[in-house]
Amino acid sequence: MIDLFNNLYMGFSTILSVQNILLCLIGCLVGTLIGVLPGIGPLATIAILMPLTYNAEPIGSLIMLAGIYYGSQYGGSTTAILVNMPGETSSLVTTFDGHAMARQGRAGKALGIAAIGSFIAGTFATFVIAGTAIPLSKLALSFTAGNYFALMVLGLSLAIILAGGSLLKAVCMLFIGVLMALVGADQITAEPRLTYGLQILYDGFDVAIVSMGLFGVAEILRNLETPEHKPFVGQVVGSLLPNRKDMKDSAGAIARGSVLGSIIGIIPGNGATLSSFVSYALEKALSKHPERFGKGAIEGVAGPESANNAAAQTTFIPLLTLGLPSTAVMALVGGAMTLHGVVPGPQVITKHPDLFWGVVSSMWVGNLMLVVINLPLIGVWVKFLKVPYHLLFPTIVLFCCIGIYSVNSRPSDVLEVAFFGVAGYVFHKLKFELAPLLLGLVLGAMLEDNLRRGLILSEGNVWTFLSEPLTLALLTVALLALGAAVVPSISKGREQLVDED
Amino acid sequence: MTVQSTEGRRTAAVPLYARIDVIGGAAIILLAIAIWLGATELDAGALSRIGSGALPKGLAVILFVAGLAILLKGLLQSNEAAERFYVAVRPTAIVVASIVLFGVFIRGADFGFLSTPQLGLMVVGPITVFVAGNATPEMNVRQLIVLSFGLTAAMLLVFMDLLSVTIPVLPRFIQDPLTLSMGIDTLVRVGYAAYGVLAAVLYVIFFGWPELRRD
Repeated sequence: MIDLFNNLYMGFSTILSVQNILLCLIGCLVGTLIGVLPGIGPLATIAILMPLTYNAEPIGSLIMLAGIYYGSQYGGSTTAILVNMPGETSSLVTTFDGHAMARQGRAGKALGIAAIGSFIAGTFATFVIAGTAIPLSKLALSFTAGNYFALMVLGLSLAIILAGGSLLKAVCMLFIGVLMALVGADQITAEPRLTYGLQILYDGFDVAIVSMGLFGVAEILRNLETPEHKPFVGQVVGSLLPNRKDMKDSAGAIARGSVLGSIIGIIPGNGATLSSFVSYALEKALSKHPERFGKGAIEGVAGPESANNAAAQTTFIPLLTLGLPSTAVMALVGGAMTLHGVVPGPQVITKHPDLFWGVVSSMWVGNLMLVVINLPLIGVWVKFLKVPYHLLFPTIVLFCCIGIYSVNSRPSDVLEVAFFGVAGYVFHKLKFELAPLLLGLVLGAMLEDNLRRGLILSEGNVWTFLSEPLTLALLTVALLALGAAVVPSISKGREQLVDED
Repeated sequence: MTVQSTEGRRTAAVPLYARIDVIGGAAIILLAIAIWLGATELDAGALSRIGSGALPKGLAVILFVAGLAILLKGLLQSNEAAERFYVAVRPTAIVVASIVLFGVFIRGADFGFLSTPQLGLMVVGPITVFVAGNATPEMNVRQLIVLSFGLTAAMLLVFMDLLSVTIPVLPRFIQDPLTLSMGIDTLVRVGYAAYGVLAAVLYVIFFGWPELRRD
């Protein structure tokens, strides 16, 4: 317990420098700004803004990326409440009661309780991360290569199962991602693989380029299909601060949402979305007046918003302690860490304690900023909601071009973005989910490395490899989960859970 | 275009070749074959010493089987379950063209089949914005022109002045002598100031004096 506070103290002393506070603030503000813009979810926001963080120090850039992440989450809730347009699926539930409250002229209170609930949940999740990180990373350090391989298989299986859509197609995308990770020089023999003699392929695929194409540009192409619809933006009326009765009504929902979200967030897959749905169902079941739900019940905003924020934060746990990103957003964050020379995994906490604890405490600071700074700025965000798409998308196009060019000063990178933009769009139209591809791309090299080392240690005997109890257990769970997902009734429900996060 | 496609899905039968699962499955199969061909030279090794070719070949086989399954599902599904493949070609082509223009001319490079001169951000930026803007029928020429100069000015300010990233600003034969005489920082500042003023002047010409000053 003393250790926990010592560590958090170290984290706060890292982040409380003028530069890091500023980066956190910029991240939150820019994230919210892009998040409220119509048609851009958190994943696209991070993909588009990633080059901006490359020039900062590793700690600063991660703090900024994290800030962008919850800023865009928060922006999604704002649009859900004010215009009934969830910026991302994790705030879909917020539209039910949040927008109903807005129609009754209580938009301010809905926004206020969403921010307060998120802050409380964020505080709780910060402690969950701080408390679980050390034991988990210690456990991970004792893992053998075989264990690690099995853990990755389990994580990836859960991620594609919970991501929704067709399982078969998700598996295809995952393997294409893994194959893309193998392109370039072999890690051991250094011979070029799958390069087809093309110079451009020798360096392999850059996560930043691929994600900007697949998620940034492809999203523009998708939005351009349908004619622009102008959202009706109501006035933000009423006070932003909930009164005592509102707080009393939502206190339980916030507490339950925080715990629920923190737990679900750790599981691979789209924790933020899943937890907000579960929280809404739970609040409705527990309520004495379930008929109020959907008609502006404040618990229906407070619970899911707390849950998705807690989950959004605890999804960092697998990445920071095990090196396994569980969502596409975390894959991007992992890619950014690698770029700065910090390999995600159990060593981060011991080798770069200032970075680790700095990022953890920045989450709390970021949440505080969202309440203290973003909430009063709501009038400004409402203005951004009205930006017409026909002016917005050329802006994003130019921003993406300059952003990706600025990373390596290579014109071919820009052309690659265009290629992956089209590929992402076409695969989306063919109903292939793209998030597994990114997970495969980020984890591919590690997956192969651990499989190789595991088999070398077991001298090529598959049975020795599998007979390690932990490896066997993890692989069995993965197999059971995949098996269950194929069962018709479950697979029906899964297909409706299509998400971009 | 979208309206047409949804109507088409309801009324007419979806031909086999236009079904998303048929096209998707075929695409995965082609990809799997390409990967296999790319990996033929690589050594698969043995279980105790996995070679560099093991994973590519193994995954290519799995992809082939999965692609085949998707293809068969698409061929065998009922007409109601089938979905027609549809992409919006025009906006896609225009947006891609704008990005490619940027990539090809920002610094200029030898791409093997063509080598291009450097035009710099102050030339390529407005062109990229203008071309991309044409991808939607809601396009408004006058707004787009103001946007293209204003945005280029803003990007110069953010990326070059605030983030100090090096991006070519002007065609090489203009930029090099100007950089020598006034330095790159001054050049960039003059550049975005000029484009900012230009955008503001064009705004006033096109839309009149704004009633509320935005600053």
